[in-house]
Amino acid sequence: MKSLRRFFSRLFSFATRRVQEDRLREEIAEHIVLQTSDNIRAGMSRFEARRQALIKFGGVESMKEEHRAERGFILLENLLQDIRFAMRSLSRTSGLTAFVVLMLALGLGMTAGTFSMLDALIFRPYPVPNSSGVLTLVSTSHDSGYEWFSYREYLDLRDKTSSFSGVTANADMQAVGFAADPSATPRVKGGMMVSGNYFRVLGVEPHLGRSFREDEDLVPGRNPVVVLGPDFWMHEFAGDPSILGKTVRLNGVEFTVIGVAPETFPGMLIFGHPDFYMPLAMARVFSTNPQKSFFENRDDREVLVRARLKPGITLQQARNELDVFAANLARDYPQFNRDRGAAIHTQFEMRTRGDDVNWKFGVIFVVLSLSVLLVACTNVAGLLLSRARTRTREVAVRLAIGAGRLRLVRLLLTESLILASFGGLVGVAIAYAITAWFQSQQSVIFMTDLPFAIPFRVNTRVLIASLALSVVSAVVCGLVPALQSSRTDLVNGLKSTEADLPSRKRFWGRNALVVAQVSTSLMLLTASFLMFRGFQHSVLDGTGFAKNHLLMVSFDPRLMQYNPSQTKQFYKQLIDRVRQTPGARSATLTQNVPLGADFFDWDVLAFAPDGFQMPPDRDHFTSMMDAADEAYFETMSIPIVRGRGFLASDTADTPRIAVVNEQFAKHYWPSSDALGQHIRLDNSAGPLVEIVGVAQTIKVQDAFGKSSDFVYLPVAQHPRDRMTLLVRSERDPLPLLQPVKDLVHTLDPNMPVLHTMTYEDLYLNQTVRGPGIAIKLVAAMGIVGLLMAVAGLYGVIAFNVSRRTREFGIRIAIGASSSDVLRLVLGKGILLVAVGVVIGLVMGLAVERMMNAMLFNSGGVDYLAYAVVLPALFTVTVLAVYVPARRASRIAPTQALRYE
Amino acid sequence: MSAPSKTKADVLQGTLALMVLKTLDVLGPLHGYGIARRIEQISGDLLAVNQGTLYPVLLKLEQEGAISSEWGASENNRRARFYQLTRAGRKQLETESQDWQQTATIIARFFQLKKEDWT
Repeated sequence: MKSLRRFFSRLFSFATRRVQEDRLREEIAEHIVLQTSDNIRAGMSRFEARRQALIKFGGVESMKEEHRAERGFILLENLLQDIRFAMRSLSRTSGLTAFVVLMLALGLGMTAGTFSMLDALIFRPYPVPNSSGVLTLVSTSHDSGYEWFSYREYLDLRDKTSSFSGVTANADMQAVGFAADPSATPRVKGGMMVSGNYFRVLGVEPHLGRSFREDEDLVPGRNPVVVLGPDFWMHEFAGDPSILGKTVRLNGVEFTVIGVAPETFPGMLIFGHPDFYMPLAMARVFSTNPQKSFFENRDDREVLVRARLKPGITLQQARNELDVFAANLARDYPQFNRDRGAAIHTQFEMRTRGDDVNWKFGVIFVVLSLSVLLVACTNVAGLLLSRARTRTREVAVRLAIGAGRLRLVRLLLTESLILASFGGLVGVAIAYAITAWFQSQQSVIFMTDLPFAIPFRVNTRVLIASLALSVVSAVVCGLVPALQSSRTDLVNGLKSTEADLPSRKRFWGRNALVVAQVSTSLMLLTASFLMFRGFQHSVLDGTGFAKNHLLMVSFDPRLMQYNPSQTKQFYKQLIDRVRQTPGARSATLTQNVPLGADFFDWDVLAFAPDGFQMPPDRDHFTSMMDAADEAYFETMSIPIVRGRGFLASDTADTPRIAVVNEQFAKHYWPSSDALGQHIRLDNSAGPLVEIVGVAQTIKVQDAFGKSSDFVYLPVAQHPRDRMTLLVRSERDPLPLLQPVKDLVHTLDPNMPVLHTMTYEDLYLNQTVRGPGIAIKLVAAMGIVGLLMAVAGLYGVIAFNVSRRTREFGIRIAIGASSSDVLRLVLGKGILLVAVGVVIGLVMGLAVERMMNAMLFNSGGVDYLAYAVVLPALFTVTVLAVYVPARRASRIAPTQALRYE
Repeated sequence: MSAPSKTKADVLQGTLALMVLKTLDVLGPLHGYGIARRIEQISGDLLAVNQGTLYPVLLKLEQEGAISSEWGASENNRRARFYQLTRAGRKQLETESQDWQQTATIIARFFQLKKEDWT
């Protein structure tokens, strides 16, 4: 008790130590005054009285010291002293300090900036209470380990499992036509259908009103209710609380607003923040495929299932139960679930799934920026080492008057800690700048009407990580120089200003630093070049169709509640009139647009090649598909290599036909001609479709993946609601936009037009600008790394030269030519560079392997990358060596011998 | 904190705290100089040197909660810090003086021993 109490009062008096010091001084003064006056009364002279009083009191300073020791924390006060001292000595060499801080700041800032990506992509927990209990349930098949469930399967999961305290489902966020009142033209917003228990199971309390009742998600179509997202409520309704109970129109149907989600819940997605939520039971209003029944078809897998683990149940128990559940489904519904399993993933497992590329970019960026930090640290360590040498005398004096080694190391470490903290502070500012830059690229990355946002932010987790990293880098750069200078030889150290003891061991350290810098920056450069080349390579492959002179406009008549015949009528009139528009060379309607991955709902076609012996464990294969009209191949300039494309004469009443791409044809008919072959839709009992043409393979989903099997179906035989009009123009396509809009207006004044842009813009956005951001980031790292390495190399060689000035002077005086000296210095520098290059090559190859495996799915070595990077690096570094070497060769012996 | 040789004053150091407590117990609130003078008077110049050592002791006692202090006016009307025994201090004084008496009795007995008593 007593010691605890003393601790706290010490803590208190440490905080108030200035007041305490004053108090002590006053008490002492008063003591002396009182004693003096007593002495005067006893008959002493005024002077003698004061003298005696002081003698009687004893040593004031030693007593003060004792008092202080009693009062506070010696260690803490020493630390403050160290900090004050370090600040003073750092500000004496302000140029060097600024340089070091800047370098650390660049390294730390880049790392913090890229870590903020990784944080958002992997580590940020779901914005719900007890987020670690929220699991994702997925259906697994031959084709993918991360498929969703159908509504029927979800109901089974909800009702027939016992490991979870709640099982929720949601559909993907989708484009919904929103109008606040019936007269307004619908605008596209992002809505998400969720199960009735969604908010309750996740533990999200609405900010206003209520969330869904479970009976509101029971009967299809009965309860048109909507819960607004927080941002949408703020922006669309200015945070008006009276919105509750009002009706809004979603896809033309009146919905009643029952609640607003809290601001803490922007949704469960990383990038998307739904504007509003609707019950799954309202799916008919939002269904993408009118031919399928969301509520009935067990193979219409459109919902993502998330569940909360019951307290006391382990993940393994839940997994076991789900295995049994999947086996039961396969037994009960063999035609849908025969070769299907089910799996449970934690948030971390979902976010680091093998088929997602974003987090891999995050990891690679963090690894690369850590390398920049490493270069910065080695550079700073080198500088501090040089600084420590010029301070030999100071250190020797300190040791001589009794400073302990530990105390000295602590002092020097304090210096590097201060450097690192300043670096960390500036680094955090840089990280903020990096995330701000990311935010500014938002419109480039997401060219869409849906509410997507870049989630990269500098938050507490990022700040803590950078703090820890600052401390680590302080120790990394500070420890070696500190330990080394505390080992200073006293006698020599005191004798000369710069003790010059060229012990091999000591010098080896600095050379190692240079080698590390050169090799790491070589690796960084290689990585950035490889990333550039990787993107370029995958973009050039299979994207050879013409992209310019194309105007793109999308429509979704569902937003206007058209029935199928109205839709058909609308599109027929539209395309006929567009084709007559002056300046339009050709026009086509298609469900999807190549390389427009984020914009469209890609359908997957289930089929069985006719007469094909299916493997025993499956009854269909899948392929990507598109529905397009007869002008598609011509308008997109995709060559038909065999057979024919679609014709206007292919209608719903003529035999069903398809065009496949070359890859599909080779895949299923490797040795014979695919032309004239048949496939059956759905499975081997489905309707027969004849392959009438083979088109050149192009990449469809995005430019970076591999091209895939692809089937084109005539839209006349496979009608779709949401279609995109593509118009090929003679010249600049944008002037065509207004005529097209006017045309749409005459057909239906309320019909919203979506995604109006030129196809070239879409293409640039999807495949050039987005990756451009990644390339820019990595290139910045490479350049920063290289500059640091050059500065470090230059510094070391220049330091070396100035240290050996006298030696060179003597060499020249006794007959060495200046080219001998040049060769001496250059040779040493080039040796360092060469060793660094060799190590850097090995590291570069390792990084190439990692990037190929994670991002570009390609093997092999990109020799061109090395052929460009290596000479560039070599030239720059040799130049950094040459400048000081040249200076060394010009040393005049008369001056050098007097040089101290 | 220099000479490690034991002087009379050093021996007294350990007991100084006890003396302070007792002085405050008997005389009530006093400032530092007052305490020093009383102890000097009673101990008969044993504490004649290094009166300053009193202050760290006072601080320690205050931090332990045995005494409290506040500003007041000294006899020549200047600001002085007055120290006062707290309840905890009174208790501490009680137990410590008992301990001290016990120790003193034991030591006294030892010194009264004659050679015969050892055999």
